[in-house]
Amino acid sequence: MNNSMISAAASMGAMQRKLDMLAENIANLNTSGYKRKNAVFEDILTNIQPQERDFDLPGRQSPLGFTQGWGARVVAQTLDLTQGPLQQTGNSTDVAIEGNALFEVRVGAALNSERAFTRQGAFQLMPVTEADGTVSRMLVTDSGQPVVAVDNGEDTFIRVPDGYDLHIAADGTLTAANADQTETLDLGKLKLVEVTKPDLLQAVGDNLYGVPQNVNADDVVRSIQDAPGQESGVAVRQGYLEQSNVNLVEEMADLIAVQRAYQLNARALTSGDQMLQMATDLRG
Amino acid sequence: MLRGLYTAASGMIAEQRRHDAVTNNIANLNTPGYKSTRSVNQAFPEMLITAMGGTEPQAAPIGKLNTGVFAEENLIGLLQGDVTETDRPQDLALVSDILVNGATFDASGKYVDPNGNVVYQPQAFFTVQDANGERRYTRNGSFRTAADGTLVSSEGLPVLGVNGQPITVPGSWDNVVVTSDGRLLDKTTGAGLPGNPQLLLTRVDNPNDLIREGDGLFRYEGAANGIAPVQAGDRVEIRQGYLERSNVDASQSMVDLMAALRAYEANQKVVQFYDQSLDKAVNEVGKV
Repeated sequence: MNNSMISAAASMGAMQRKLDMLAENIANLNTSGYKRKNAVFEDILTNIQPQERDFDLPGRQSPLGFTQGWGARVVAQTLDLTQGPLQQTGNSTDVAIEGNALFEVRVGAALNSERAFTRQGAFQLMPVTEADGTVSRMLVTDSGQPVVAVDNGEDTFIRVPDGYDLHIAADGTLTAANADQTETLDLGKLKLVEVTKPDLLQAVGDNLYGVPQNVNADDVVRSIQDAPGQESGVAVRQGYLEQSNVNLVEEMADLIAVQRAYQLNARALTSGDQMLQMATDLRG
Repeated sequence: MLRGLYTAASGMIAEQRRHDAVTNNIANLNTPGYKSTRSVNQAFPEMLITAMGGTEPQAAPIGKLNTGVFAEENLIGLLQGDVTETDRPQDLALVSDILVNGATFDASGKYVDPNGNVVYQPQAFFTVQDANGERRYTRNGSFRTAADGTLVSSEGLPVLGVNGQPITVPGSWDNVVVTSDGRLLDKTTGAGLPGNPQLLLTRVDNPNDLIREGDGLFRYEGAANGIAPVQAGDRVEIRQGYLERSNVDASQSMVDLMAALRAYEANQKVVQFYDQSLDKAVNEVGKV
């Protein structure tokens, strides 16, 4: 009965972790740019009790050895990067991506700080004072991380001078036009990266994704380079926001399944406890 | 001592083992690719009972008596699990229905022909390589990509291709299509990926020669000629974007759990009755 109780208890812990993940998905139903998480179960290492030669009786079908399992556990957490629906906001600093790509941002204020990636395009223009005293506005995420663009092959931040409006084309090209459309400045192109290995992306908070320390970032994300004539399959939409890709119906169906599995495991645990009670009542 | 006391105790232990096996099945209700466990009980070897004393001058045999039961083995139930859609390009489900000439298999995958020979339905598995370089077999197709592009199981073990080497896909899996026989093709061009990778599907003729190691893996312990790569006409197909669910039936498991519990209780009552008999023998019969 001890095996029963340990198996059932370990599996209830695994169900609880899956429940936590479902709760996080449901809580982020309205977070723009949120990608739902999924859990993968696996059965716990089995131990094999050795059986002597005498156990090889006629009618036995499997090799010698008595296998005992110990329940199930959550072995990995995967990110589901399917496209979420786009919602028009009319805000000129809101950007949505269509296709497999992420925006690149920097965690700190300097260009050489740690790289991070995000899907949420609710950007803001933050006033900054440059070294020479001019005031311009820098494109940042709504948590304050500066967005990276590629200008002449180099990573830069996006600075829009006062009095100019920002325009973002479908391929990410940034231009700033002044109020009466007489002058346009070329600010480079939004840096978009394609995710080749979504299993290695880590959520680092503030709706950002990062690459673990021991992994080479170029193995996980790849800068999208538009070779002439090759379609990258990615488009950028100014004035739109991508909604969360959580499907409430699927999450609730998973919730019901997990809840029932939890109940069944609890029932098995109670049954094991009753057997223990019977063993105790054997005498006296 | 009364023989029946140990028989009843052995019954309790065997039912406890059965209960443990059913609990493990219930615990793995949501594990993809999990195959249920079935506990098989076996009686102790029979003893010849003889009558001593009485009217006969010599001891006369009465008959045979079993002196106990034990849980002999935990069989793997290899029924096909239901296939559910996940839309993840690295999730693969194996649907295996291998035919053997002249045999119709029952629900547990066994066929007994008119001569009494038992034939089991062969099953197909994905092939992975464990840390020691040995081959292990699994039905859990929830694969992911490692940092160097190798296709690995959810435990991190590399998945093998027909050339015996791990399968590596350098680019994104959004562009990869897996055909029903395991070849990896480029989605846009339809041609094979560089190196023509193809998943190695292994067919095991007698699935009872497999030992469950946990973590979704099986180890093959049978003869070398009972295991081979799947051939073209074998009715085994891979479905990309799908996962095979656990083949545990929740209601059957609850019934088995109750049956084990009540059998345990019945044996416990027998032990208690023997205890009362001994109590009388020790405390009342011999009372002076």
